[in-house]
Amino acid sequence: MYVFASTIQLLTLLCALSGGGLALYDIWRGRGDMLPLVEKLHWFIAAALLLASAILLHALYRHDFELKYVASYTDLILPVFYRLTAFWAGQEGSMLFWALSVALGGTIFAVTGACKALTPATRLWYWVFFYAIVAFFTLILTTWSNPFTMLTPPPKDGNGLNPLLQNPGMIFHPPLLFLGYGGFVVPSCLALAQTLSGKRNEETAWFRLTRPFLILAWLALTAGIVLGAWWAYMELGWGGYWAWDPVENASLLPWLISTAALHTLIIEERCRKLGRVNVVMIALTTVSAFFATYLVRSGVVESVHAFGDGSVGTPLTIFVLAGLFVAFWTVFWSKAEGRFLAGPGSREGLLTLLAWVLLALAVIILAATLWPQISKFWTSVPKGMDAAFYNRICLPLGAIVVVMMAFCPWLRMAGGLNRKNAFMGLIACMLISAAALWMAGYRQSTALVAAAAAFGLVYDAVLMLKNTAVFRSPSTLGALGAHLGMALVTVGIAFSGPYAEDKDMTLAQGQSGQIQDYSATLLDIRSGRRPGYEYVGARIEVRKGDKRLGIIEPERRVYDKFGTMQFSEVDTIPRPGDEIYASLLRFDGEKRVLVKISVKPFVNWLWIGGAMLCILPLLCLRRRKSGSPASGAAGTKSARLR
Amino acid sequence: MSRGKSTPLYLIAFLLFLGGTGYLCYSGFSENSIYFLNVSEARAASPDKLANVRLFGTVAADGVEKHASGPGIVFRLEDKDNAAQAILVRYTGAVPDTFRPGAEVIVEGGIGPDGQFAAKILMTKCPSKYQKENRKS
Repeated sequence: MYVFASTIQLLTLLCALSGGGLALYDIWRGRGDMLPLVEKLHWFIAAALLLASAILLHALYRHDFELKYVASYTDLILPVFYRLTAFWAGQEGSMLFWALSVALGGTIFAVTGACKALTPATRLWYWVFFYAIVAFFTLILTTWSNPFTMLTPPPKDGNGLNPLLQNPGMIFHPPLLFLGYGGFVVPSCLALAQTLSGKRNEETAWFRLTRPFLILAWLALTAGIVLGAWWAYMELGWGGYWAWDPVENASLLPWLISTAALHTLIIEERCRKLGRVNVVMIALTTVSAFFATYLVRSGVVESVHAFGDGSVGTPLTIFVLAGLFVAFWTVFWSKAEGRFLAGPGSREGLLTLLAWVLLALAVIILAATLWPQISKFWTSVPKGMDAAFYNRICLPLGAIVVVMMAFCPWLRMAGGLNRKNAFMGLIACMLISAAALWMAGYRQSTALVAAAAAFGLVYDAVLMLKNTAVFRSPSTLGALGAHLGMALVTVGIAFSGPYAEDKDMTLAQGQSGQIQDYSATLLDIRSGRRPGYEYVGARIEVRKGDKRLGIIEPERRVYDKFGTMQFSEVDTIPRPGDEIYASLLRFDGEKRVLVKISVKPFVNWLWIGGAMLCILPLLCLRRRKSGSPASGAAGTKSARLR
Repeated sequence: MSRGKSTPLYLIAFLLFLGGTGYLCYSGFSENSIYFLNVSEARAASPDKLANVRLFGTVAADGVEKHASGPGIVFRLEDKDNAAQAILVRYTGAVPDTFRPGAEVIVEGGIGPDGQFAAKILMTKCPSKYQKENRKS
């Protein structure tokens, strides 16, 4: 059966190659008679990849250790949920998952009326790009990274899944990232196709046709990043959520570029400007998604995440370079429309500047991440950047982004203020909140600016929601919700970053430790057995002055499957202000425990804002009824955020 | 094609932005860049380069000692490819769950006058199912 699965992967590769080839041949001949055939191939591709995925899932379900992939990432005692989700646990499976999501995305787009309305020339180019990407994936799946490699003889039991990863947060983090990466493929292919066919003025613009893809891909990417951060915070026990590790940075690159693209697209949607810029931006988004995979899988930079064995590094490099070349070449040769932006003081201008800052962040993070490799060109002792470097540069730039977000809604598209009083109110709100924070002792300048701007964003949102016309435009509400979410994320980062404090305490029963205004008293130490593991837990009562806040019970666990290795299970007392976070570092025979107790101010707003950021933009999926670019529901124009 | 009337404004904005970011990067680069070395590279490097450095290596099978009181650990960090090259590392923070002999770790800190490496940061590689690391032989 697995030979069959490998064969269908190979057939898919051939299909994609011939589809792309036929489409190119038609374009070269200047005809379109192959188009119906070319357009049928995606059905086969999607069906074949679905079948291959089903075979893999079946093998995972059945504990078929004959398959190397199944033996590597599961074992006999792993619950069925984790067995099935091991589909995307390893490199081979996740490549298959990514290919599947691209193929399904292509099929969904092909069956919508949107695709049918395009001119044959655009459709042919679209399929050239789309099949090229599918062919690349299936090439990887059939050669360097085949999930259907067999083991002879099959082992009796598999290696199992590390307990740290047996957590819902970790299960959905990778597929969301892949869905995000994959979702940008359709818009980018169509953007390039429309540019090359030269039929842009005869058909609906690519970003309108693929709007659901753009929004959903962005959402999935955001959700994947937020979940990853949350998992690191709750499960790893080091008390942080972002370490500027190369693999984390990798996922941030497509996010930054796609966010910039979504905002420059607003300018094109409203004012028909920046057409060529947007094609480059969306193509860069997809290329950066491939690049992110390259960073993660190739092992080019030393990271705490150890993923790939490097086998797919070279093909990915070639593909990324080819993608960059195609994107720039396409746009370079296309016709400029020659309309200029309004000045930097307009909303158009501010959105453009916002895109600059986001792109600059992406470039800096990229260069800093790769610096250990880059510096090898001229020195034998390579240098890299520590976390302080990223904080020093990215946080101020991030604060600038939030300030821009707060100002933007009050600027007119072509320049000037649309509601002078509201704008003055915003300035006052930001100044007052900055002063209040200063008085309250929060004086770290970047955090102060960012937090004040975040309060400004909340002010914006409140003022806009007072205008009931907003509620008639779901897409405005979605954008508003996303910006509000970003404001909360900013508050969370601005406070929990610089003002968190932690302390290691050695406590015997009845003893207390002090951190800030909080006291922690060890009530007792419990130990016992739960299915699959043994645990030791410290029950600690936390008080603030005389007020009892609750009991916190961090544990250490030893899982049956993982020898003597101990795993820490953190516990928190979630509060809107200071969250109390505890991890049990050590337990010694003399009935004493060593615990790390942390006070994390406002950290929960990061998760609440993060959740808003990944849920509320779903409202944007409701299309506005009118088709013309500059129109919209009358009266909401001033209220619209994006 | 005529130039847009706001082009000079954008140019000025761009230069300001470039200057500001450039300055940030430059200062960050001169103060926050550290050497990224394997153990064998660190052994070969001159001592002045080892005051602030990030090292990559494997925890040696023997000689892992826990501090008698408080968190922390002393261990030998071996080169991944050449176990004969090793550096003694002292670390006083909370030891990650996945730290154990044979694990690949990343330490950040500097070599003190006693020849011991004092680590400020100790990270173990992600206990990934993606890698051979958690496979028991």
